[in-house]
Amino acid sequence: MNRENEANRNPLINGALLAYVLLAYLFVFAPIVASFVFSFNSDRFPSIPLGDFSTEWYRAVAADPLVWQGLRNTLLVGVGVGVISTALGFGAAYTDHRYNFLGKQVYLALALLPPTIPVVIMGLAMLAFLSRVNLSGDAGAVIIAHVVICAPFAMAVIRLRLSQMDPSLEPAAWNLGASEWAAMRHVVIPFCRPAILGALFVTMAVSFDEFAIAWFVSGLNETLPVKVLGFLQGQVSPRINAVGTFVFIVSMTLLILAQLLLGRTAAPRKE
Amino acid sequence: MTPVTQAPLVSLEGVAKHFGTYTAVQKMDLQIHEGEFLALMGSSGCGKTTTLRMLAGLEAPSEGVIRLDGKPINDLPSWSRDTPMVWQSLALFPFLTVIENVEFALKMRGLGRTERRRRAEQWLDRMQIAEFAGRNISQLSGGQRQRVALARSLVIEPRILLLDEPLSALDAALKVRMQSVLKTLQRETGITFVYVTHSQSEAFSMADRVVIMSRGKIEQIGTPQDIYRAPRTRFVADFLGSSNIFPGQLTRDGQGRPVLATSSGDFALPAGNAPGIAGQAASLTVLDTRMQIHPQPPQGARNSVAARMIGEEFVGATATIHFETDNGQELRVQKSHEDLADLSLAIGKPFYLSWSPADGHLVQE
Amino acid sequence: MRRRLSLYGLTFSLPLLIWQLLFFVFPLVFLIALSFWTVRNFRMQPDFDMVNWTTMYGRAVFWQAYATTLTLAAGAAVLTSILAFPVAYAIAFKLSPRVQRWAIMLMVIPFFTSYLVRVYSWQVFLSDAGIINVMLGWIGLGPYGLLNTPGATLLGFVTLALPLVVLLQLFSLIFIDRTLIEAAHNMRCGRLRTVFAVVIPSARVGLVIAALFAFILSFGDFVSPIYLGGGDPTTLSILITDTTKSGQQWPRAAVIALTMIATLMIVAYLAVRFAYRGRK
Repeated sequence: MNRENEANRNPLINGALLAYVLLAYLFVFAPIVASFVFSFNSDRFPSIPLGDFSTEWYRAVAADPLVWQGLRNTLLVGVGVGVISTALGFGAAYTDHRYNFLGKQVYLALALLPPTIPVVIMGLAMLAFLSRVNLSGDAGAVIIAHVVICAPFAMAVIRLRLSQMDPSLEPAAWNLGASEWAAMRHVVIPFCRPAILGALFVTMAVSFDEFAIAWFVSGLNETLPVKVLGFLQGQVSPRINAVGTFVFIVSMTLLILAQLLLGRTAAPRKE
Repeated sequence: MTPVTQAPLVSLEGVAKHFGTYTAVQKMDLQIHEGEFLALMGSSGCGKTTTLRMLAGLEAPSEGVIRLDGKPINDLPSWSRDTPMVWQSLALFPFLTVIENVEFALKMRGLGRTERRRRAEQWLDRMQIAEFAGRNISQLSGGQRQRVALARSLVIEPRILLLDEPLSALDAALKVRMQSVLKTLQRETGITFVYVTHSQSEAFSMADRVVIMSRGKIEQIGTPQDIYRAPRTRFVADFLGSSNIFPGQLTRDGQGRPVLATSSGDFALPAGNAPGIAGQAASLTVLDTRMQIHPQPPQGARNSVAARMIGEEFVGATATIHFETDNGQELRVQKSHEDLADLSLAIGKPFYLSWSPADGHLVQE
Repeated sequence: MRRRLSLYGLTFSLPLLIWQLLFFVFPLVFLIALSFWTVRNFRMQPDFDMVNWTTMYGRAVFWQAYATTLTLAAGAAVLTSILAFPVAYAIAFKLSPRVQRWAIMLMVIPFFTSYLVRVYSWQVFLSDAGIINVMLGWIGLGPYGLLNTPGATLLGFVTLALPLVVLLQLFSLIFIDRTLIEAAHNMRCGRLRTVFAVVIPSARVGLVIAALFAFILSFGDFVSPIYLGGGDPTTLSILITDTTKSGQQWPRAAVIALTMIATLMIVAYLAVRFAYRGRK
């Protein structure tokens, strides 16, 4: 469909382009794959040739109570952020889907803009504001701040699903005797269920990796990524790779779950 | 056929609907009787669907009163009136099975699980789709979905059913079959059907009364036969497309008899189809089945016009012959093949078309 | 359909609005107020004093950092755009839909991997005895001091921005009317000339927006400048973190942050104007 017609193809140019694409993907994935490889490498300063296979960094990480605390905080924050962001994002997506009102542009800007503000600035603003109202320094502060940047992602995912809904579906439910609330519960939410779960996982994954804002507002209750930032500030330690690999696997699991759910959504239905 | 009983089931009194500056429905008066099959017909944008949605409580009238059983229902939300609708897209719930779709309205009315199931199964049976009860909607054919949509709306046994172009997604053969299903269903249940369509054949083959709308206004209400034989306005005649239309001006001939002066000649008018004031614009419509074709100028015919044959089309036992007059007006005549046998038709050949004054019908401009 | 907001509608609309007002708009507005506060004995006091603005704007290091940040971010935007374009072009026009879907999915993965971990990997690659220097040694070069250079910072920025830029460019290229390209070829417009005369102008909005995002991401990032660039020369984001975390000089950090927001708004405005120039 998107391919050029045959007459337009020059094997040499195409070959060079494809080689360049592979190089670009290599560049993107080199640090990710390397981190995974280094995490099982006995050397403190990995280079080539690689050292022996070792799980010592995992053991070191597992023995660090602060890492466990960080993990606990991260999970707590992730779940909180996922649930709240998805709920808020759903509301905003439904509002955009169903209503027209004066100032809707402003509403949508507020709903979608936060991820474009640099995280240092968000971090500073959050820290200054939350400490002023005595909310900074705990997991709650991180949740509050992360929801601000995660809710837009949830909204985008759910809005996409709503745009696939037959516009008559909700009126059909009212027409059959469902009040607006009943139609929401029995029609809109069931229809959006895969996207709601997808949004939940995507926002959890975003929160799971966010370190800058969390670093500003978390105080002593560090999340795992903040802990990694701490490792990075301290002496160079391959423990980062062990934690990184673990976080990567968790994020990917969430992402793949989301993808599976959303993929099912996008699959053409004969409706 | 239309059991006109005491009070109408539904009445619209001066109902209008505006969307911003756009007027979808202009002050409309309409009475719908218990047990009738009423079709609202017109091209897209004529206000037929808006009218239906107001009946369903999905749009609130901007002006006027809608009464159901004598009680005004303007402010009653959709979920508080028993006016189920069959949607153009069907709007079946894709995440529910067939039987869950049918149970939906009962569930919303708080019926218990076993009672729901029993009544839903009854309707699935009646619609001959009982075997699909546990299926997903996506596993059904177009015709089966249609039946699910009907069962879903009828399961609450309403007094009125609203249908919004429900057959438009079906292929021609299935359409005809579903028409007879709908008509039989309506006759057996005695439920009032209000059926929105742009298709003349659907409206005329099923409805007891047809309402023809244009630009938010009712052009004509009547039985299919009445409308077919005597379209009230030029718009209706045009819309039905089965008549030849001669626009002209009312005047009188040498003997003082009323005639219509058109660019194709002066035509005698049917008796009783009282002409208005001389000089007024009007159109004469003549059904294409009522015109005669002659190879020579017909003797004694008061209404005739010379025209060249420009084409022919055959559908089953009938043929439609197309003609063009000297001043460029196209005319059509429908005849059986036998009637045409000794005419030796040929494209480009001149003929004369005639009709009896009684077959003409005068309509307002 | 009833389109007026009712209690029901507000239940869904208001929570996000309230949340973003309380925790997005208020904090940013509070930054403005904060920039006029004063710090005495390590305690902040509400005040209306220009001292933070005059102090910060009076320092050469601030303006140096400003220039460094602006240059690095602009460099990253241009570099990333140039590096990404052939990738996006190839994915958009040269791959079958199936491979295309895979390519897009793979490009999404980096968003969900830790940027910190990737930066740390680059540290290991770039260090004096690291993989790159070892490989250079095989052909008799080096070792070079690769780490703690502006080049390393740029490498980090490209790592951060490339996936997003590729995707944004890709989506603007995919929606180009293919007949335009065929028409150009048909009029004997050469391959490369078609790219510059037809493809890039048609996708201009998307390309500019992609570069803008690369700029925004790099402009605000403090990880690459510290851990790959070595923190020297310093950038505005490093200044913010230092001023906040060590000095308790939040009002001064607010001055930096507000300057950054103003800069970003100007850049975004110019970029969007440039993107839509001559369009309606």
